Amino acid sequence: MGLEFLARVRKTSTWLGGVMALMAATYVSPLLGLAFAAGALWSLVNLQLIERLVVSLTGTARGTPAGTRTSGFALLGMLFLFASGAVLLVLLSPEALVAGFLLPLAVIVVKAGTKILLGSRAWRGIANNRWRAGIAALALATVTWFALGALTNAGGQTPEHSAPTSEHAQTAPPEGAPGEAGSGAAGTATPEAHGDATAEPHGEASEEKEEGFTNVIALLAGAFPHAAWAHFLEHYEVLVFSLFIALLLLYVAFVASRNPQLVPSGLQNGVEMVVEGLSGFFISIIGPKHGPRFVPFLGTLFIYILSMNLFGLIPFMHSPTASLNVTVALALTVFVYVQFIGFKELGPIGWLDHMLGSPRDLTGWLLAPLMLPIHILGELAKPISLSCRLFGNIFGEDMLLVAFASLGVTMLPFQQLPFGIPMHALFFPLALLGSALQAMVFTVLTSIYILLMLPHEHHDEHGHEAGAQHAH
Amino acid sequence: MDMQAALSLGLPLGIGIAAIGSGIGLGLIGQGAMQAIGRQPEATAKIQLAMIIIAALAEALTIYAFVTMFLLKGKI
Repeated sequence: MGLEFLARVRKTSTWLGGVMALMAATYVSPLLGLAFAAGALWSLVNLQLIERLVVSLTGTARGTPAGTRTSGFALLGMLFLFASGAVLLVLLSPEALVAGFLLPLAVIVVKAGTKILLGSRAWRGIANNRWRAGIAALALATVTWFALGALTNAGGQTPEHSAPTSEHAQTAPPEGAPGEAGSGAAGTATPEAHGDATAEPHGEASEEKEEGFTNVIALLAGAFPHAAWAHFLEHYEVLVFSLFIALLLLYVAFVASRNPQLVPSGLQNGVEMVVEGLSGFFISIIGPKHGPRFVPFLGTLFIYILSMNLFGLIPFMHSPTASLNVTVALALTVFVYVQFIGFKELGPIGWLDHMLGSPRDLTGWLLAPLMLPIHILGELAKPISLSCRLFGNIFGEDMLLVAFASLGVTMLPFQQLPFGIPMHALFFPLALLGSALQAMVFTVLTSIYILLMLPHEHHDEHGHEAGAQHAH
Repeated sequence: MDMQAALSLGLPLGIGIAAIGSGIGLGLIGQGAMQAIGRQPEATAKIQLAMIIIAALAEALTIYAFVTMFLLKGKI
C-alpha cells in the first residue's frame, strides 16, 4: 500500500473513467459524458498533486531546495486546480462532475477492499475448493442478474418521461417519441417503428446512428451543437481521423528511429521487421532493379491504408476508408503517380507508344487507333476500381458489424437492459482479415500498375507477354 | 409497380445475382490455384499472390453492386 498502489489506482481509474465517460456520452447525453470525464480528470490531477506534496514533505528530499520547490509547485498547482474546478462547476453539470470526482476514490476503496478480501481466510477457503468456488460464482451471477433486472425495471420508468427532452430533440421524428428513447431496443423491435423508414435505427441512440457506430467526433458535435469548431470537425470528420492516423504513424516512426541501435530491440525491432518484410515483398513483385525506388511509396501506402482500415475496429473510432472521399483521393494519388512514372521512365514518345499498344509491325499500326481508346479507358478505370473496391469492402465490413451489433441488442429477452449480446464479435476476425487483405490488394495492384509502366527489359518477360497476347 | 417498389425489389436481387457470379469466379480461381499449388508446391508464394489479386478483381464486381445499392438506397 504505497506509491505503487496509487500508481495502480491512477491507471485503473484512467481507463475506467474514459470508458464510463464515453458510455455516459453515448447513452445519456454528450455534455454529461464530458462533465464526467472532466470530474475524473480533475480528481486524478488532485490525487497526483497531493501525492507529490506528501512525498516532498515527508520523503528524503525534505528540507532541500528541490523538495521545497516541488512542494511549492504542488501548492500552486492545487490553487489553479481549485480555480478551474470552480469554473467547471459553473459551466458543466455538477452531478456528473461530482460523480467523476468520486470515481478515483471509489477505485481506491474497491481496490483496498479486494486486497483485504483476497488475504482473508474465508476467501481462501472458497477459492481453494473448486465446487465451492463454482457455486459462489453462480450465486454471484444470479444475484447480479436479478439485481440488474430490478434496477433497470425501476429505472426504466423515469427516463421514459425525462428522455424525450434531451435525446429526441436531435434524433427521432416526433411520432416515434413514446417508449423509444428510454427502452431503445423495445422501440426497434416493434414493427411500427420499422414502418416509416426514417424512424428506424434511432432507438438505442448509442449502438447505431444514421449509419455506423458513434464516434468521438460525433459525440463532441452532439455536446456542442452550436459551436462552429464542432460543426467543422463533424463535417470534416473523415479528414480529421485520417490526419490523426497519419500523425500517429509519424510519431511511431519518429520514436522508432530516434535513437537507432545496431542491435535493435523493442519498437525499433518491430518497425524494422515490418519495413524489411514490405521491402522484400514489393521488390519481389517489381524486380530488383527498379523495385527499391518504389518501396517507400508502396510501403507507406500499405501501412497507411492498413491503419485506416483497422482504426474503425477501435470503439468510438471510425475508419476513414469507409468513406468514398478518402479512397478516391488515394486512388487518384496512385493514378497520377503511375502516369508520372510512365512519363519519366518512357518519355513522352515512349508513353504514347505504350498507349498505342507498342506497335512494331503492320498489324500493330493498323490496330493502333483501336488500341488507343482501349488503353486510355483502361488507365481511367484503374482509379475507379481501386477506390470502389477499397470503399466497398471496408464500408460493407462496418455495415456488417453494425447490423449484427443491433441484432445482438434486439435479441436479448430483457429488452430494457442497457447492453446486448455482442453478436458482432464473431465478425471481428473477418474484419481483421478483410482489412489486411484489402490494404494488400490495393498496394499490390498499385505496384503492378507501376510495373506495367516501366520499360520491359527482361527477355523472358517479353516472351511471356507475347505468348499471353497470342493466347488471347 | 412504382419506382420505390421496383428499387426495393431489385437492389437486393441485384446484389444476389452479382454475388452468384463472383462466387462462381472465386471458386474457379481457388480451384485453379489449389491445383497449381498441388502440382508445384515450391511456387506457392507466387501462386498465392496471383490468386489473391485475381480474387480481388472477381470480388470487386459484387462490391460494385453493393456500392450501387448504397447509392440508390436513398431513393427507396
